[in-house]
Amino acid sequence: MSNAYLTYAAKRLGQAVVVILLAYVFTFVVVSILPGDPITSVLRNPQNGFSEEEIAEIIAAQGLDKPIIVQLWHSLSGFLTGDLGMSMRSNRPVSTLIAEVLPSTLILASAGLAVALVLAMLVAYGTRFVPKRYGQGLLRGFPSLFLSVPNFVIGLVLIHLFGFQLGLFRVINPDSFWATLFAAIALGIPISAQIAEVLIANLDKEAEQEYATVARSRGIGQARLFASHLLKPASLPVVTVIALTIGELLGGSLITETVFGRTGIGSLVQRSVSTQDLPVLQAIVSLGAVIFVLVNLVADLLYPLLDPRVKILGGQKRQPTTADETSIGPTRVVTP
Amino acid sequence: MASQDRLSAALIRAITVAPAPQPVTPLLSVDNLSVSYGRQDVVHDVGFELGRGKSLALIGESGSGKSTIARAILRLLPSGATASGAVRFGGDNLLALPERRFRALRGRQIGFVPQDPGNALNPVRTIGAQAMEAAELTDEPNATIRKALILETFAQVGLENPQRVFSSYPHQLSGGMLQRVLIGLAVLPRPALLVADEPTSALDVTIQKRILDLLSKLQHDLNISLLLITHDLAIASERTDSLVVLKNGVVQEAGKTSSVFSLPASAYARKLHADVPALNPDRYARLREAGLRLRSAGEAPKIEVNAVTKSFTVDGKILTAVSDISFAVAPGTTHALVGESGSGKTTTIRLLLGLEEPDAGEISVAGERLSGRSHASLRAVWRHLQLVYQNPFTSLDPTWTVEHLVGEPLDRFKVGTPKERAERVREALANVGLAEHLLNRKPGALSGGQRQRVAIARALVLKPDVIVLDEPTSALDVSVQADIVEVLLSLQAKLGLTYVFVSHDLALVRQLAHTVSVMQRGSIVEHGSVADIFGNPQHPYTATLLESIPAGIANPVNTTQQKPREVFRKEQIA
Amino acid sequence: MTFVANSTLSRGSRSGWAEALRMPPIVALSFLITATIIAWSIAPQLFTAYSPVVGVPADKLLGPSAEHWFGTDHLGRDLYARVVYGTASSVSSALVAVVIGVLAGGLIGLLAGFLGGWVDVVLARLVDVLLSIPKFLLAVIVVTAIGFETINAAIATGVSAVAIFARVTRAEVIKTRQATFVEAAFLSGGSRWFILWRHILPNASRSVLPLAVLQFGESILVIASLAFLGYGDPPPASDWGLLISIGKDYLKWPWLVYAPAFITIVTVLSVNRISRWLRKTD
Repeated sequence: MSNAYLTYAAKRLGQAVVVILLAYVFTFVVVSILPGDPITSVLRNPQNGFSEEEIAEIIAAQGLDKPIIVQLWHSLSGFLTGDLGMSMRSNRPVSTLIAEVLPSTLILASAGLAVALVLAMLVAYGTRFVPKRYGQGLLRGFPSLFLSVPNFVIGLVLIHLFGFQLGLFRVINPDSFWATLFAAIALGIPISAQIAEVLIANLDKEAEQEYATVARSRGIGQARLFASHLLKPASLPVVTVIALTIGELLGGSLITETVFGRTGIGSLVQRSVSTQDLPVLQAIVSLGAVIFVLVNLVADLLYPLLDPRVKILGGQKRQPTTADETSIGPTRVVTP
Repeated sequence: MASQDRLSAALIRAITVAPAPQPVTPLLSVDNLSVSYGRQDVVHDVGFELGRGKSLALIGESGSGKSTIARAILRLLPSGATASGAVRFGGDNLLALPERRFRALRGRQIGFVPQDPGNALNPVRTIGAQAMEAAELTDEPNATIRKALILETFAQVGLENPQRVFSSYPHQLSGGMLQRVLIGLAVLPRPALLVADEPTSALDVTIQKRILDLLSKLQHDLNISLLLITHDLAIASERTDSLVVLKNGVVQEAGKTSSVFSLPASAYARKLHADVPALNPDRYARLREAGLRLRSAGEAPKIEVNAVTKSFTVDGKILTAVSDISFAVAPGTTHALVGESGSGKTTTIRLLLGLEEPDAGEISVAGERLSGRSHASLRAVWRHLQLVYQNPFTSLDPTWTVEHLVGEPLDRFKVGTPKERAERVREALANVGLAEHLLNRKPGALSGGQRQRVAIARALVLKPDVIVLDEPTSALDVSVQADIVEVLLSLQAKLGLTYVFVSHDLALVRQLAHTVSVMQRGSIVEHGSVADIFGNPQHPYTATLLESIPAGIANPVNTTQQKPREVFRKEQIA
Repeated sequence: MTFVANSTLSRGSRSGWAEALRMPPIVALSFLITATIIAWSIAPQLFTAYSPVVGVPADKLLGPSAEHWFGTDHLGRDLYARVVYGTASSVSSALVAVVIGVLAGGLIGLLAGFLGGWVDVVLARLVDVLLSIPKFLLAVIVVTAIGFETINAAIATGVSAVAIFARVTRAEVIKTRQATFVEAAFLSGGSRWFILWRHILPNASRSVLPLAVLQFGESILVIASLAFLGYGDPPPASDWGLLISIGKDYLKWPWLVYAPAFITIVTVLSVNRISRWLRKTD
């Protein structure tokens, strides 16, 4: 652990904290300030049957009568101390509501990620071994095809084929093994397409590098070239790509849960959207940002340790460039 | 294997019935080799032979197909390329061999040294891990001995700390060291043939010479045949027994080096010979002197650089790019700044143009001081001081047409009426020898030489006093370089321009400059007139640089001038 | 180091359009499909005689036939007509999303990349924040805040795409700003804004165009997802995502899902293929 690395890590950590806080503020601004007054429109909706006293009570409890900046301050300091506030609809702590449904979503998301990784590796590495005339084109077409398919369609097709036609699972029992597996497949396929696209491009790029030719000039065969030369440099950058897909994984869970009728964060979001339960939405979106930022932080901190090409200079991660004379010094910015 | 040997021996006996003096079968013989990418022919009907322990050079400019031939011999052509004809190596036709049998030859019998050492080793694996691949080809069963072999070879190719090199990653070594590693890996399995594809073109001149010396020595010591691919006629004729000159994939001339070099029969080989600066030090003597005559004696210098120092802070460390440099350039003359990468040439240019502010010292151009100027007043300086960049592939905006590119300085400085500007654009293009029908083209539709002419026209169109030329020909082929140099010198003779010419190529500097400063690690180690510096170098670094100019084989025309260096060279080679 | 001076280069001055039109058949097909989709959205009545809203109850849930290409739904409406009439809002809303993304993201990226310094730091953090919120969640809360309507779904999708455009534009601007030809333009006496406008913008936008096309396809998917969840216009509108959403309750009659899904996929595939082709030709 060099000093430079620790400086870099500290800087990255600081950035992550700032981004999380700003994301919280941003979400708060979006849900509170944008046109329309969902709060009163929900509370005064006769269907919800709140009495005037109850409304007043909720408004007081949520601090809705205070200026927006005070509300933000309350909300933010609550967030920092782990208090996510109360749901406007059910009068229960938001954290309890989330804790109830989080495990189901985590199972789905991790299974989806596993499916995505396995599939992406099979497809991408397959392009190196399946000859052109035996369907390499099909493997190469996989990413572009599945980047064009809405993931709810994948879910519906799976339900139609394996649930309705083959009877492997029933949507009425969404937590069964098969139902979970197919939900994970539906969630994982579009994400695997993203990962596979990058992997295939990297493998092609590495195979065209001069060092691959020189290695072949030392008499090594295709399989060994792949295993000991191409695999590592092509796969390492994918760590960052996987971290970036975490957002898609969370967003995708929302739809997949709806399609497969699962209870989870997605169904909680659905319910909160339809009832305009803003504290719950605020909490879930912030949670999503926290997960995304932390996963990417880990990926960024891990990457320099995995890839010897990356040097850390002056607290910043840099890909080494070949020495060229033109880059001796920084260009002075000529100001008018 | 043994039975096969016996079989081929029997075959040879059967064919050579008459007890004639048996012809020595060449190690490598290429017959009617043609290579095409899709429908495009890149190599056409090429043939040559290379004997055991001999050396042969394939010479040509870009697009000549020389590297393609090397790759065809190694069967490393990219997919989509097809090769026909025959490449015979020790009796086998390499092109017809099944992949599995050929792989046994690759590395073991035929070694390969690539062009750019910086990209030739896997960046995420240690050198040792990759060296072990080469060591496995020796069939030595014991891994410890294999490693010892590697370390021994590293020492043999002149790497100082073999153990450290073994455990390093490629990016931790310099280009010269990497090329030594690659040469070591190629010769480690004791191949019969070594194919070296421009092994030094990515390296600095002094290192270039050392690497070539190493190759020659290994070839001699280990009795390896060497196939050298190069664009440099001087290097080729200095290092090999025979030459094959290629153009557009067709052989122009082939034969013994001494005869091809001294009496080139084909027009192309003659032109190539005439265009290599190292072989023709006096080619532009007349033009150069014509320029000088325009100048009246005792005029104040156009450029004065006085005790200038500039350092940068890179990652907390202070890096002195140039330290205490001074030089002056008289009007109408060419001053050359010579040095290898990292010598501070580029920083000097940026200081001259006011793109960097010196830490200490003063620079004046045409009597005006540069330091402390704002952008607006720097513009006034650029009106008289223009720059031609090294790489014409990056210095022209790809979305603009030639007409707009050349006219841009006129438009920005609001010179004359639109009609006059259009006229001056045409004039500038004519001055650099570009036809008018190119006016509406974008850089993407121009060749490298045409692009550099456009860049020169742009520098010229304001009619500046001084043009700074930053390695203006180093990205171009030697014949294109000759054309560009000719254009530059005739413009100087015609318009009395003052040039600051930056280059790493001493032979080129000797052809065209009047005065020269030799730079090393940010300092000027020696300066004076070209005749003085080249005739009688005082500083050891200058001497080393001069030595690294390949002289080729004695050129009968210039014997007198080159004599002292000739003697020196022979000692070196022996 | 020598560059390949390709002899074929010296040929094309008129090449511009002639060259650009030479495209692989699959790209030509993609353009054809995209053109058809655009035609559907401009003048749906030219492509079908059926009404997308009024059905014939007696003809409900018919399978695909020569009469009803995509079959009919539970109210006896022609599904093909519903798909064709739903194109306008599905496609034009994706266009709105892309325009928002390109304009807002492009401006942020341009300023951050060109001005540098504290402007860059502030804008880069803003982009980090936008990127940190999972895109689809961001679109969901924005559409929740401004109301369930297809146009609002488009705005939400556009907002969620701002970050990516800002990022790419910034990277391109920085890359271009450091290009040698930009310094050459300074030496030719150009001012900062002139160089930004005439040199940096045209070059940086060359890689933003393929991204915009790609984002167009992506926006179709996101808006379809929002419609699927019921955050777009309510029925009887016939956005593609909404059609699939209705169809999922009638899986016994699978064409109700497969037909609109097929059109969505083919459209997005074509658009993505065009984007890839643009990236390669440039």
